[in-house]
Amino acid sequence: MPPMTDEQLLHVYRIMERAILLEQAVLRLIEDGSARLLLHSGRGQEAIGTGVCAALRDDDMLFYSHRGLTQLLAKGMAPGPLLGDFLGRTSGATRGLGAGIVHAVDHSLGLMGSSGTLGGGFVLSAGAALGARRLGDDRVSVHIFGEGSANRGTFHEAANAAALWKLPMVWLCENNGLSVSVAHRDATSIEDVADRAGAYGMPSRIVDGQDVEAVYDAVAEAVARARAGDGPTLIEAKTLRFRGHYEGDPQTYRSKEDIAAAQQRDPVRIVAEKLAARGIAGDRLGAIRNEEAAAMEAAITQALAAPKPGPERIHEGLLAPRETAA
Amino acid sequence: MSGMKTLSYRAALREALIEELERDPRVFVMGQDAGPFGGVFGVTKGLTEMFGADRVFDTPISEALIVGGGVGAALAGARPVVELQYADFALIAMDEIVNKAAKWRYMHGGGQSVPLVIRAPEGVVGGLGPEHSQSLAQYFWSSFGLKVAMPATPADAKGMLKSAIRDDDPVLFLENKSLYNRRGPVPEGEHLVPLGVASTWRRGGDVTVVAWSRMATVAAQAAETLAGAGIECEIIDPRGISPFDLDTILESVDRTGRLAVVHEGPVTGGLAGELIAQVVERRFAALKAAPVRIAGADTYVPQNQDLEGLLTPDIEAVSAAITALAQAGR
Repeated sequence: MPPMTDEQLLHVYRIMERAILLEQAVLRLIEDGSARLLLHSGRGQEAIGTGVCAALRDDDMLFYSHRGLTQLLAKGMAPGPLLGDFLGRTSGATRGLGAGIVHAVDHSLGLMGSSGTLGGGFVLSAGAALGARRLGDDRVSVHIFGEGSANRGTFHEAANAAALWKLPMVWLCENNGLSVSVAHRDATSIEDVADRAGAYGMPSRIVDGQDVEAVYDAVAEAVARARAGDGPTLIEAKTLRFRGHYEGDPQTYRSKEDIAAAQQRDPVRIVAEKLAARGIAGDRLGAIRNEEAAAMEAAITQALAAPKPGPERIHEGLLAPRETAA
Repeated sequence: MSGMKTLSYRAALREALIEELERDPRVFVMGQDAGPFGGVFGVTKGLTEMFGADRVFDTPISEALIVGGGVGAALAGARPVVELQYADFALIAMDEIVNKAAKWRYMHGGGQSVPLVIRAPEGVVGGLGPEHSQSLAQYFWSSFGLKVAMPATPADAKGMLKSAIRDDDPVLFLENKSLYNRRGPVPEGEHLVPLGVASTWRRGGDVTVVAWSRMATVAAQAAETLAGAGIECEIIDPRGISPFDLDTILESVDRTGRLAVVHEGPVTGGLAGELIAQVVERRFAALKAAPVRIAGADTYVPQNQDLEGLLTPDIEAVSAAITALAQAGR
């Protein structure tokens, strides 16, 4: 695959900054009591959502993970509806249902939604690939998931069927070494989740999940295979979780040294260094950061001004509106 | 008004699938042995040959994939009809049915449709034992984004399956195994039966009898006998549990003041308990006697067919319970 262009890499940097700003904004809103939620921070894993989405078309379908802010922003979602969800406002993507784990859908962006139960997305993403094939289009279905959920039976049912039917599907395993509190080695019989692909006749690749270019390259190759009708691919990105499973997680299962060591491999700094090596001046990155910070402040002000839902909201949206049914 | 033809319940379902596969290229059918073999109950027989292996095909033994794959395909814009070989296997795919199919629209804000049909043969028949014979609609009455259809006649089987395939919400379509060979009139030409509209099989002023699926046929037979004894039953088939046509039942109870509810599944935690609660909350004053549950025994289904027959109420049991109800109360 051709390397990422400077423009692509600058866009990745912008999305990473946006994701970090959004996460910081949410933490601030939790702190000051405006938002009540369990945020699942994606800090440290920004190279994955950005690398994946850089290799996708708008209409390619993404089932994102619960650690998903970068993934959503990279696929094109604006921070406004996400802030609306975190604040439980009607301006949110779910019109006020709230979010600790985001459940936003936007078909124009190929955002398909997220399973709340871990491991629920495997069969859905295989099914979406099957649906695209039925409709005769060349969309690719992509699912990003944590390594812990690969121990669900759904992984195996969907892997078998996707490989059997050569479905246009790409799975990206974010292996951050921790299933909530349990270390990968204490929950999984093998070191590399990618090894499981071979059992289903599916190709796989292991990449450095802190390096956006490595993620992009593997995904772009897999998407090309999928679109050509050659079937699914499993990519395992070795990555690092900088914060707790959720905000407030005491992380008693992890040493301070381990956390500090993880933070040494910050995907944002790695991108900034790549851009510097390409001769792109640091003040350009500073300008991007300032633009994003200003836009985020405006989005926060707007989200805080949006109304909260009324009590009727809890019953809305269970079924299709009558006029569209049948 | 076009004429009628006689079809089996099985043939009526098959005809619905054929017509919808012809009408809408987004429709496809998948399930264990649903491809060239035609399904273990023969509903999809010949369809792979007619429509090709990309429209009607076999799946691995992977219920989570069958249902969850159907949800994913529906999200992508297709109109999947998936077959669970036995309704009991819905329990293997509960996350996909309850947490995904039923909740996806709601938890993503309300704008995302999941136009999926899950066909599942249920019913206490055939000596198939405790894991292949359940009637388990009762597990789904609080799955609010899921529609649950339970046709009792060939005409309803065809008309409701076609409506289910065209519906923008997921539909659990419970076919009763003991009805597959049952024959009945089906309207010629396009025939659609809306989901969630009760069907009144028989008018009568003494007792309102609500019965689903095979038990509606049993209740209707009991009603003929009871008419000879001077008890006039009003037989109502709700045709499913979601949406639920409570108004038709309330209107009937207003006239009769007596309610019996008949179903195959176990009496405890069953459909009758929920329905009776809804009626009593609204029509306590109209009731002349305590409503009666006539339902499956609180145990599991043995493979011994002599014992299996004891699990669900027969015509005699239904008649006896209704007779007692007709004579009870104030």
